[in-house]
Amino acid sequence: MKGPGSKLRQKFSLVPAVLSVIISFAGSTAAHDEKKDHKSSEKIERSTPVNPQASITLCVMSGTLTVRGWDKNEVRARSTDADQLDFRRVDKVKDPSTPPTRIDVMVLDKHTPKGDCQAFADVELDVPKEATVQLQTRDGGISITGVAGAYAGSQNGDITIDRASKFVEAGSVGGSISLKDSTGRINLSSAGGGVEVDNVRPVTPDDTFEVGTVSGDIQLDRVSNSKVIAKTVNGTVTMRGPLARAGYYGFTSMGGDVVLMMPRDASFRLNALISEKSDIVSDFPLKYVPHPPAVPVPKVSPAPQPPPRDSKGKTDPKTGPVIRPIVVVKPVIVNPFKRINAICGSGDATISLSSFGGTLHLKRM
Amino acid sequence: MRQCLDEAMLQSYFDGELSSSLMESATLHLASCVACATAARELEEETALLSEAFALEFADSVPTEQLRRRIDAAVAGLHVVSPVVQEPSAVSNFFRSLSALFSLSPQRAFGYAALMVVLAFGVIFGLIKMKTSVPPSSVSQTQKQPQIVTPQVPNKNETVAENSNNAIKEVTTNETPKITKVKDRPSTGNVESKRAPVKLLPGEKSYLQTIAKLDSTIKDGQNNMRPALQVEYQRNLQIVDRVIAATRNAAKKNPSDPDAADFMFAAYQSKVDLLNTIADARVYNRTQ
Repeated sequence: MKGPGSKLRQKFSLVPAVLSVIISFAGSTAAHDEKKDHKSSEKIERSTPVNPQASITLCVMSGTLTVRGWDKNEVRARSTDADQLDFRRVDKVKDPSTPPTRIDVMVLDKHTPKGDCQAFADVELDVPKEATVQLQTRDGGISITGVAGAYAGSQNGDITIDRASKFVEAGSVGGSISLKDSTGRINLSSAGGGVEVDNVRPVTPDDTFEVGTVSGDIQLDRVSNSKVIAKTVNGTVTMRGPLARAGYYGFTSMGGDVVLMMPRDASFRLNALISEKSDIVSDFPLKYVPHPPAVPVPKVSPAPQPPPRDSKGKTDPKTGPVIRPIVVVKPVIVNPFKRINAICGSGDATISLSSFGGTLHLKRM
Repeated sequence: MRQCLDEAMLQSYFDGELSSSLMESATLHLASCVACATAARELEEETALLSEAFALEFADSVPTEQLRRRIDAAVAGLHVVSPVVQEPSAVSNFFRSLSALFSLSPQRAFGYAALMVVLAFGVIFGLIKMKTSVPPSSVSQTQKQPQIVTPQVPNKNETVAENSNNAIKEVTTNETPKITKVKDRPSTGNVESKRAPVKLLPGEKSYLQTIAKLDSTIKDGQNNMRPALQVEYQRNLQIVDRVIAATRNAAKKNPSDPDAADFMFAAYQSKVDLLNTIADARVYNRTQ
């Protein structure tokens, strides 16, 4: 007959056995991970010659994309996360020996063997300085330095671009955008992220600078493009720096403030349309100019009155036209929006402001 | 008496219960019959022995032969009288049977107890079922409608006359009812139809059409939208919608002011831009 403790002893003997099995599994898994890490820590590198002004496209699902411009006429791609890197020539040329003008960088990993922007990998690119890059990632950030042109898109990652020489187009939904020391045409947009720009110059007179956000703040420092347009729904727009001579600065804000910090000798003409909720606060002496002549209200001649009828409904042919006083039926509506036209200095630049709810601050630097 | 005395007769002899003539003849027989005399002595000795052993019990009156006869006579008398008694009316029979129910014999007591237990279980089970099947009134309001809307057995004649919900009526009168989300809603269709049509401002319609197209595009793939993107989208959409409402209100109050309309159009354009951005991001998500 078994004693009452025999089952308990069996259980106690099972516990070490189960523990040993678990530990052995954990050990094997850890060893497997070490192998994987060792494998993934290997950097994959691919290079291919390209046209100096080539257009290079890189797209991943998630991961940080870093692009640097260099003096070589080739593209080098490196990654520590991807399982495979490849180049796909997408331009159609008769002579395949000529360097491609358009290539796609294909990033493949184990989970996404098809490629096509599905990889989860950080990728570094070295491209010719005169090249144009087109980068897209969903979650990761984008960093571009020293290229001619840059298209960059990210949903939630931050975008940083330095020393772009010809144009920049960058867009983000939730991430921020930073642009520094660049020239050319600029177009930046972000829904919720902020936009910071510093030291941007035009290459040609037609190079415009446009930036727009929904709720993100916009900060512009030393933007010397001749045409600057900044729009925000609810963010704050801050611009600091000298104004371009004969430049045009258009600011549209639905609820955020607009702050312009300019040198003492700033010369501009201000055309502002603000609502009754908005204000203009200026450190500069503004000389108000009269409003442009209001559109003359057309004289409304009274509508021809129907000929009076007698009680029988017949027209009295003897009575002439009867002039009656005009009765204003509609109340007089006071315009809730104010138009302010003013000049500071000689009025070289033009600042146009439309603000539905914010305040315009004109500050001296 | 020539026959031998049996045991009952001997017992009656010793008990003195025999009549005088039987007593005399029994005495004569015992005197002449050795076997009966021996049996009588043995019985006498046994009786003496039992009398000593059960002296306390025998102190009480013991039914004798005479008593047995009286009891038998009484029982016989009852049998004679009973036919007279067994002529009751139907009412008396009913009352008798009713009263018989309350005469507690052990079997009946056990039966009654079992019946009581069964009844008690039945009452408890019924109470529990009532509590579970009748939810609080606040819950019943919400639970009733889907139960009516989604009948298990479709029946053409089945109607819910007391329910004023048109959607529910449609379902219940339909032969093949389908479960849709719309039918679970309150009668929003009626409310919308009763609403006064929104008077659009000049130039507003084209923006609204564009926004509607983009919105439907985004909603088509909203399940694929990542939570972070969706949060950012909803947050900014609320901001834009508030601005649109404010500018539209201003434009409505100042119909002759082009500036007010310009602000409204700028707000609409902001929404179009936002929706375009999100639609692009949605496509990007889906194609990945």
